Amino acid sequence: MRLKRVQEGGCGRPRRLPGGTLATIVLAIMVLALITPGCGKKESTNVVKVGYLRSDLHQLAYYVAREKGFFTEEGLDVKEGGVFNAGPEEMSAFSAGELDMGYVGSAPAVTFAAQDMVDIQIVAQVNAAGSSIVVRSGLEAGDVSALKGRTVAVPGHSTVQDFLLRLALKEAVLEENEINIITLKPPETIAALGSGQVDAFVAWEPYPQIAVVQNAGWVLENSSEIWPHHPCCVLVVDRDFASRNPDTVRRFVAAHVKATQYINDNPLEAADMGHLFTGQDSDAVEAAMGNIEFVYKLNVEGLERYVEFLKEIGVVKVESAESFCDTLIDQQFLPREN
Amino acid sequence: MRKWKYISPLVALGLWQLLAMVGVLGRTPSPVDVAEGFYDLIVTGLPPGYYLQWHLLASLERVLVGFAFALVLAVPLGILMGWSRGFDTVMDPLVEVVRPVPPLAWLPLAVIWFGIGIFSAAFMIFLGAFFPILLNTITGVKSVDPHLVEAARTLGARRRAILLRVLTPGAMPSIITGVRIGIGIGWMTLVAAEMTGVKSGYGLGYLILTARDIARYDIVVAGMVVIGVVGFLMDRLVKYAEKRLLGWM
Repeated sequence: MRLKRVQEGGCGRPRRLPGGTLATIVLAIMVLALITPGCGKKESTNVVKVGYLRSDLHQLAYYVAREKGFFTEEGLDVKEGGVFNAGPEEMSAFSAGELDMGYVGSAPAVTFAAQDMVDIQIVAQVNAAGSSIVVRSGLEAGDVSALKGRTVAVPGHSTVQDFLLRLALKEAVLEENEINIITLKPPETIAALGSGQVDAFVAWEPYPQIAVVQNAGWVLENSSEIWPHHPCCVLVVDRDFASRNPDTVRRFVAAHVKATQYINDNPLEAADMGHLFTGQDSDAVEAAMGNIEFVYKLNVEGLERYVEFLKEIGVVKVESAESFCDTLIDQQFLPREN
Repeated sequence: MRKWKYISPLVALGLWQLLAMVGVLGRTPSPVDVAEGFYDLIVTGLPPGYYLQWHLLASLERVLVGFAFALVLAVPLGILMGWSRGFDTVMDPLVEVVRPVPPLAWLPLAVIWFGIGIFSAAFMIFLGAFFPILLNTITGVKSVDPHLVEAARTLGARRRAILLRVLTPGAMPSIITGVRIGIGIGWMTLVAAEMTGVKSGYGLGYLILTARDIARYDIVVAGMVVIGVVGFLMDRLVKYAEKRLLGWM
């Protein structure tokens, strides 16, 4: 084995940069920055770059609309702009201008909009309910108050699941500092639950049911028992895209509505499709489907309540939750009710 | 030239603020935003109640544990491999196959083996720090002047004495170089390792991920600055220790 001795600092005296190099670099950066935004101008289009979350059963409507050809029926050319592991990643893609529309959780949509990181509008609901508190196997618990002194994982600070947990704690007359709340992404959570690293977790479907199928844990409470019909995933659109292509957005929403109705009308087939979409165990998916409300009508009041919570814990700084939601939510693309 | 020593970060900082003020950086936080992020981290904490200093301490603890294991295992193994040609021949293929695997690729296994407590993160640091120390130790031992070993032998030194009093001190400069590189790589690895989540709820990598999740990019950058400055200070510390330890050379 020949090994080179690792040298430090290169050899000899450091050389000077040739005069003007720095100035050239700075100039080049500035020129690039100035010309880049100019390239983005587009005509009205039927091409939609859409983002969604991997294995998130809540977003089944996207898969159904795609597989059943509902987008094509509306004359849309839907391109996958990105598949993400977490909502914040998808929101970053929005802020980089990579996506036109997206299926995403309320939490990243609201927080990123409130921090001015993205300029989006929420145009339809994707689902309500659909999360659960899961306790590890072997741990007895009559209700949430049994979690006192335990470690509970949420998918992210200030997420809808975090809020649900806090609501449940309040219900059980537990203070937040009486349990140890940590952040773990759902795929890691099941392993951590199985090995006893965490005592419970709150996550969206199908993770709770996967934990059940794998005998890692059992469902203590479904989120609909904590907060009935609470809003969860939403359909968002880049504001600029919506103003240039209102008709395209309307047709996309129409396909989404159709897919949502299809799921509710054909639960068995929808469960099969959920299995294909998430790649997860079909028993887990079937059980999880029963816990999710697939809806397209926006739960404005629920979103306002959630924004109010974010405001209280200091995550978003908005004057009033109501006026913030007014600007963020746009219901004009949804079909008119008769 | 000494007074120009810290000019490059200052110029970078000024340029950064200037570009932000001109508006070409878009949504990237400016240095002033980052300063506000720091303020929030120290006063409010993120998540609220989880202050910056505890995030930093948690990360330092993980680094020290992982690094200590790397040091204790890599130096003796390196000395043996540098000293014995036979042992080197046997061990080399194993080392060279494991070495190119990035520490992060071990993360899924680390979580099953060690859970999400301190040891899974420390294991990543260990992997990051182990190989630079090992390789530099081997090189250091091999580069000791054979005449010195001959001379010691002629003077009646036994194997043990040659190993401990000739080869090890002779390899010291190279070992310390390995330590510097190892601790640097370990520190880099740590932040990524914490991003899966940590049981204690503290750690700089964990902090950055939490800030990203709630779109606080000023805090993301503040966390990056802390990591950079601490990495710089650790390197200075090792350099200082080197001067003190190797004053005799």
